[in-house]
Amino acid sequence: MSTLSFLLDGFQTALQPHNLLFAFIGVLIGTTVGVLPGIGPISGVALLIPVTASMTSGLSPEQAAASSIILLAGVYYGAMYGGSTTSILLNTPGESSSVVTTLDGYQMARQGRAGVALAIAAIGSFVAGIVALIGLVLLAEPLSNVALKFGPAEYFSLMMLGLAAVSGLAGKSMTKAWIMTVCGLLLSTIGLDNVSGVARFTYDISYLYGGLEFLTVAVGLFALGEVFKSILHNEKNDGEIAKIGRILPTKSDLRESAGPIARGSLLGFFTGVLPGAGATLASFFSYILEKKVSKHPENFGKGAIAGVAAPESANNGASGGAMIPLLTLGIPGSGTTAILMGALIMYNVQPGPLLFDEHPEVAWGLIASMFIGNVMLLILNMPLVKVFAKIIQTPTKYLLPLIIAISVFGVYAVQVTTFDVFLLLAFGLLGYWLAQHDYPLAPLVLGLVLGPMIENNMRRALTASNGDYLVFVEKPISLVLLIIAFLWIAVPMVMKLRGKSIIVNEDM
Amino acid sequence: MNKTADRIAAVAFLAIGALFMVESLRLSKSAYGSVVGPNVFPFLLGLILVLLSVKLLFETRRYAEAADKKPPRQYKKFLIILVAAILYAALMETIGYVIMTFLFLVVGFQTMAKGTLWKSVVVAAGFSLGVYGLYVKLLQGTLPSWPVWFQ
Repeated sequence: MSTLSFLLDGFQTALQPHNLLFAFIGVLIGTTVGVLPGIGPISGVALLIPVTASMTSGLSPEQAAASSIILLAGVYYGAMYGGSTTSILLNTPGESSSVVTTLDGYQMARQGRAGVALAIAAIGSFVAGIVALIGLVLLAEPLSNVALKFGPAEYFSLMMLGLAAVSGLAGKSMTKAWIMTVCGLLLSTIGLDNVSGVARFTYDISYLYGGLEFLTVAVGLFALGEVFKSILHNEKNDGEIAKIGRILPTKSDLRESAGPIARGSLLGFFTGVLPGAGATLASFFSYILEKKVSKHPENFGKGAIAGVAAPESANNGASGGAMIPLLTLGIPGSGTTAILMGALIMYNVQPGPLLFDEHPEVAWGLIASMFIGNVMLLILNMPLVKVFAKIIQTPTKYLLPLIIAISVFGVYAVQVTTFDVFLLLAFGLLGYWLAQHDYPLAPLVLGLVLGPMIENNMRRALTASNGDYLVFVEKPISLVLLIIAFLWIAVPMVMKLRGKSIIVNEDM
Repeated sequence: MNKTADRIAAVAFLAIGALFMVESLRLSKSAYGSVVGPNVFPFLLGLILVLLSVKLLFETRRYAEAADKKPPRQYKKFLIILVAAILYAALMETIGYVIMTFLFLVVGFQTMAKGTLWKSVVVAAGFSLGVYGLYVKLLQGTLPSWPVWFQ
């Protein structure tokens, strides 16, 4: 009952006119970002943090946090949806979670059914968003109640599990993923130590006392890194765009895709809840599942509507599901949620079990706005599909320098020093080089965000145990979490040694 | 997987890890109210990074030599834009946001593809004046304003 009243309060927050506007701007920009080649959900969200920070600067801290997280979450699932548009129309996925959609989506477009494919993708995303929302409402309270019983030792182990899950599945080489995680953790130690007040690795540079700003690092690595790549590799977006044709799906289309949407949403949601397994895995799994379940598996790859409906539902379900560990446990399960978490921390809102008690407006407002955002996406996308198809043709000539200018503006607006702008450019170069050589970037950001929390909990646990490191294995919950973390790393390693190929998550 | 690049990276990460280990030894070992000093966490992480770099170094021995040739890269374009961006950051506080953003964008647009100059000028002016007007005049934010000799 209390959950319901909280949810109603959340709707009250989300339905305030300015928050409706923010949600609208969020999904609009998100869809645009998803449609534009080269900018994925991660860099889209990172790029917009400073913009939202300046937009919400007139509001009280609590309201500002709620409004900007509503906008950023809108960007997140808007981008997830927008990615499918390019998969269907251009046969080039906007981001890796819509790779599978190209298989049948582009075939449908070639048969003149692009409009129907886009509509089914929108409907599937909508249903999945609702499923994720219900799951979030049901699971949020119980999960955060469990987590409230956690002490520092349990928390430390939980975060180790989070890092293990993300690093274990990210990228092609687990060693590289771990190197990136550790680098992120190391970078987080720069600045004043918040237990003792000792300056660490600052070398008397006053800008470093506050630590490396997460925003600068994230925008540099993701947004600028991708821009540099597009310039160097001379990436152009001049593919042939398929005709959209009729948009409204027929009754038989709907009947054919009802099952796949339902299965895809559920599968996606549960995949999303698991840290590390993100939207890309979810879309692959659901496509494989549909092919197995289908009575006509031979139609897949030739424009089967189920081949669009299922993965599109699954990737949206997963992005909703990924909110659960973020909001209830304070553990981001993917690159994008790590960035959302960094944004929350910027507003002094700590995601985790206390979030629902301390900042109910933010937590429930976000949950309610996910519903509203999904409705908006549906309303926005059905009639505006043709407009978004036009955006695909934005010349990179203007796009790329503008992204650099927006990044510089954003970082300067928040930090007001040119030191951070130089840092931004440096991380852009680094991000390009690392991504070029298969070093996944998301674990680095994750390490940077989680670093201070891991260190604090570790030190608190060790203080309570008088410096005895065995405390982490003596507490039963902590031990179980550590064992799961260990298995998460060990099982894929063993499988690799036995010559089996592992699916890796590359959207991270 | 590029053998040379990963070897260089592994050595670099090894050096970073070692640097953090050495430097954390210089930090104070105790902290009031905590048994564990501020030096422990970075030291352990540095150690892990060193071990991981060694692992990566060993892994590079199994890489096949990359035979495929890289497609041509637009180094010239990239360098012009990078230098423009560095100048943009360096001169923003002295020359002001609007002028530097305008100049950076015009250079950026024209470097990406040579086209009619007036289009680039219009877009660049629109963006720089628009952002400045919205952010500084409307939202009361802080950006470097016009240079002294211009006012």
